[in-house]
Amino acid sequence: MTFFTIVVRGLLRRPVRTGLTLVGISIGIAAVVALVGISRGFEQSWAAGMKARGTDIVVSNMGSALAPKPFDASVRDRIASLPRVAATCAIFVDLTSIEDSSMMVVSAREWGGFSWKSLKLISGRMPHDAKEPAVVLGQTAAEVLKKKIGDPIQIEAKELFVVGIVNGGALVENGSVILSLPLFQEITGNEGKINIIDLRADPGMSEDDLKNLCAQINTLVPEARAMIAGEHVGNSQAYRFISAMSWGTSLLAVIVGVLGVMNTMLMTVFERKQEISILLAIGWKRARVIRMVLWESALLGLLGGIGGVMIGAVGVKVLETLPAIHGLLEPDLSTGLMLVSIVIAVAVGVISGIYPAWRSSRLTPSLAMQG
Amino acid sequence: MKPHVFAAVGLKKEFDDGRVQALRGVDFSIAQGEFVAITGPSGCGKTTLLQMLGALDFPSSGTLHYRGNSIPDLPEPAAYRAREIGIIFQAFNLLPTFTALENVQIPMFETDMRAAERKERAGLLLKSVGLAERRDHFPAKLSGGERQRVAIARSLANSPSVLLADEPTGNLDSENAHLILDLIIRLQREQNMTLVLVTHDSGIAQRASRVVHMKDGRIVSDLAT
Ligand SMILES: Nc1ncnc2c1ncn2[C@@H]1O[C@H](COP(=O)(O)OP(=O)(O)OP(=O)(O)O)[C@@H](O)[C@H]1O
Ligand SMILES: [Mg+2]
Repeated sequence: MTFFTIVVRGLLRRPVRTGLTLVGISIGIAAVVALVGISRGFEQSWAAGMKARGTDIVVSNMGSALAPKPFDASVRDRIASLPRVAATCAIFVDLTSIEDSSMMVVSAREWGGFSWKSLKLISGRMPHDAKEPAVVLGQTAAEVLKKKIGDPIQIEAKELFVVGIVNGGALVENGSVILSLPLFQEITGNEGKINIIDLRADPGMSEDDLKNLCAQINTLVPEARAMIAGEHVGNSQAYRFISAMSWGTSLLAVIVGVLGVMNTMLMTVFERKQEISILLAIGWKRARVIRMVLWESALLGLLGGIGGVMIGAVGVKVLETLPAIHGLLEPDLSTGLMLVSIVIAVAVGVISGIYPAWRSSRLTPSLAMQG
Repeated sequence: MKPHVFAAVGLKKEFDDGRVQALRGVDFSIAQGEFVAITGPSGCGKTTLLQMLGALDFPSSGTLHYRGNSIPDLPEPAAYRAREIGIIFQAFNLLPTFTALENVQIPMFETDMRAAERKERAGLLLKSVGLAERRDHFPAKLSGGERQRVAIARSLANSPSVLLADEPTGNLDSENAHLILDLIIRLQREQNMTLVLVTHDSGIAQRASRVVHMKDGRIVSDLAT
């Protein structure tokens, strides 16, 4: 028998209570994994989408909404004339529900712009011209909308036709409905407006060069902000709000976990008063009793953390397959996040064990002899 | 003259801010290898005295020494309890979630013994109390006499030089009481331990080398048998 056996035996003496406590911590940690994983995945998949389009800098106005705020299309011409700008592509991106599917990314791109070039046709064709009432669908978008080539598709009040299905090389691209900018502007009554400019810089520019270019653009066009592709999502208010929400909710889950474990450990210390006093009477140091309680508590945290990471990962995978979310989510379930979650869980265990451990160390060995 | 294992002078113990005076000035000394029985009516302070000897609690005043060292001033009372003292309780006080073999190993965690050594020694101790076959049983599956034998084996875990027993046969029928008493006395003699045993039973007290009778927190007689 080792000290660890004693710790485990302490948890096993009330298997139902230990089990319920584990479920409690697991749910808390699962919430951390799912919420933080989803919000970080959201950021990362947008960044990947930008890279797939060959975009170095994104000029947009990420306000408080999920989609950026529109601004005048002329901003593009001012930026295009800057030195070291190789190409620009004006875009109007909207998050909107299409037919009976909720929240699709609709990406309307300047006809002939470079953002079209990264799309690889899987079947069908590209639109013939800027005014053809046609869209191409990313693979996932086609699945979600259950559309094939030739099918009609309703966008706002206008009926368009699916002419091609494409692979855009990144989740966001594959989940998008893509059409030409002038067509979309006409349909939605947003003539002369855009909300994103994809910018490709001259080859060979360093991160610092790109930052300088961003700064230049920002002084030139106050209506929008230039950011290195990928960073712009993380900087958007909407993303920050989602991120804060997910950390906030996670924090709540963790606090609930701490209270649950503390309650369990206090109960186990109280109902073992006599046993703990026996341990002290037959020679155990107070420090060893404290260690026993803390290890029990930490072990609860560790097991709850492992359970929580598993539940969280499975939960997120299930969420991903839901039609409403499919194609919009690419959660970040990196080992880093899993490890952080388990460390949080163990910390929950240790922190919750401190007060019960202190209480246990206040017990007196003489209690053992008082029958 | 034999060296003193315990020496008490004017030992007092109060509870509840002096409202209860459990020991009202006790003077005695106990020599190495003695078997002292402590008797007296309920509430006279027998258990309290034993708790002082075992450093389970501290006196309110007076002095109490173990082999020349003041017990209340021991730097590590837990180490004293672990190494010098073996305690046998009336209610056995085994830990219910551990087998006989495991219960005997519990005090050994305060030594440098390795897991395999602990297990081996616990097995030998259980054998010496005649419970080798019951080593993997939990306390709930043992009879009262068997539980007390496990507790005796546990009290010997770290080869103490003193055994403190508080009514060790109080929860047993007379047949088992005899067996347990014989066992304790045999082990005490074999290992030359000092034995301080609290009992109500004058028959048991007669087997001691000395009987200390208490009343109202004081020693009223102290006779060699
Ligand atoms: N922790 C305590 N708090 C308050 N009073 C106590 C405490 N422990 C013992 N006492 C009191 O001290 C007195 C002596 O108690 P003790 O347990 O030593 O008696 P005892 O001789 O062992 O009696 P018994 O034969 O019934 O076991 C009693 O009046 C008891 O109520
Ligand atoms: Mg008593």
